[in-house]
Amino acid sequence: MVEISSDVIRGYNDTMILSILIKEPSYGYEISKQIRRISDDKYIIKETTLYSAFTRMEKNGYIESFVADKDPEGNGKKRTYYRVTDAGREFYNSKCDEWVLTKEVIERFIEKK
Amino acid sequence: METIKNYLEAMFANMPNTPEVMKAKAELFSMMEDKYNEMIADGVSENEAVGTVISEFGNLDELAEDLGLVKEVEEVHVREVERPRRFVELSEVQDYLDGRKLRGIMIGAGVFLCVISVIFPIIADEFAMRESYGILGMFISIAVAIGLFIFSGIIGNDFRYLQKELCQIDMSTAEYVKDKKNDSKYALAMMQTIGIILCVVSWLPAAVFDNKMAPVCLFVMVGIGLFLIIYSAKIKNGYNTILNLNDATTISGTYGKELDAKYISRTAEVFMSVYWSTITCIYLIVSFVTMNWGSTWLIWIIAAIVHKILKVALVKED
Repeated sequence: MVEISSDVIRGYNDTMILSILIKEPSYGYEISKQIRRISDDKYIIKETTLYSAFTRMEKNGYIESFVADKDPEGNGKKRTYYRVTDAGREFYNSKCDEWVLTKEVIERFIEKK
Repeated sequence: METIKNYLEAMFANMPNTPEVMKAKAELFSMMEDKYNEMIADGVSENEAVGTVISEFGNLDELAEDLGLVKEVEEVHVREVERPRRFVELSEVQDYLDGRKLRGIMIGAGVFLCVISVIFPIIADEFAMRESYGILGMFISIAVAIGLFIFSGIIGNDFRYLQKELCQIDMSTAEYVKDKKNDSKYALAMMQTIGIILCVVSWLPAAVFDNKMAPVCLFVMVGIGLFLIIYSAKIKNGYNTILNLNDATTISGTYGKELDAKYISRTAEVFMSVYWSTITCIYLIVSFVTMNWGSTWLIWIIAAIVHKILKVALVKED
């Protein structure tokens, strides 16, 4: 079975996370679950990758974190939630455009079986 | 769950002890915990859940990069080579803590003997014995005390390296000491409080009974009080010395500083730190003004109850 190489997907982890956060603020495990679900179990993001992305994007001002006591299910665990900023939305849009172009270019070199 | 925690601690073992690293560790643990709990709730076996969580964890190198810690991680490595910190083993820590306890008893007993040495002449006088017996008793008592001081100093020398050398402890040792400190917290606080109370009320007998033996009572009470204060302080400081070996430049593990109760605000912290001295002042002032020593001691009981309530109310929950 082919697997996604982490080198290739690295540049797009941020895009995936942002696309989820644009819908609503969320926290670590919930985001990794969503990525898994949307990708039909084809991509499982590592915890360290996810946390790296959070710190990097927070530093760049694409997302903000806040601590909430309760999640929507009324679970009492304290969690760090993340929400997207305007700069994050802009970055997401530019990454989407970049991907369309990248895909178009790479596609031309891929041999169709 | 314990396995996951240990795994994470092992992964972070070579990371410096900075706030960023602490936060990363806590966040990663939270994610792993969520994943584990959900798998268990879905009926996955514990072993399988632990295996999955660990295999999907990833590696910390990329994290070091994004946390901007590459430099620090390297520094830790360089320091380990150039100025190695001595790793203090759990057995050494246990020896140190036992030695500390013994020294607490010795120094406490020595101080006790010094304080009560003066009662021998009084006793000799009271029971119409020869004066020289009283003097002799006093000097023997002081001599034994000095012997105890010297001996405790010799024991202490074995552990001088804790102060002189750079040392560190690993995570499990830190946890062990932390648990011990927590377990003995109330017993030590109680000892200290009783010690202080004994010293403060020591001259009550002398004030109430007009008897030649009253001064004897005073010195014995002060002696016992000081013994309790010294013994409890010795043990408590022992725990703190060990826990403070790790700091921001060592590998991750428990910081001593973090372990003390955190109060909800700075004001609360200051207030609680001067609480007992304030009570002592109030007690003395009230007692001297009213001269009602027979009932003012109740202040201590009330103060202890109020202290308990304040502590519950003002300590920040984790």
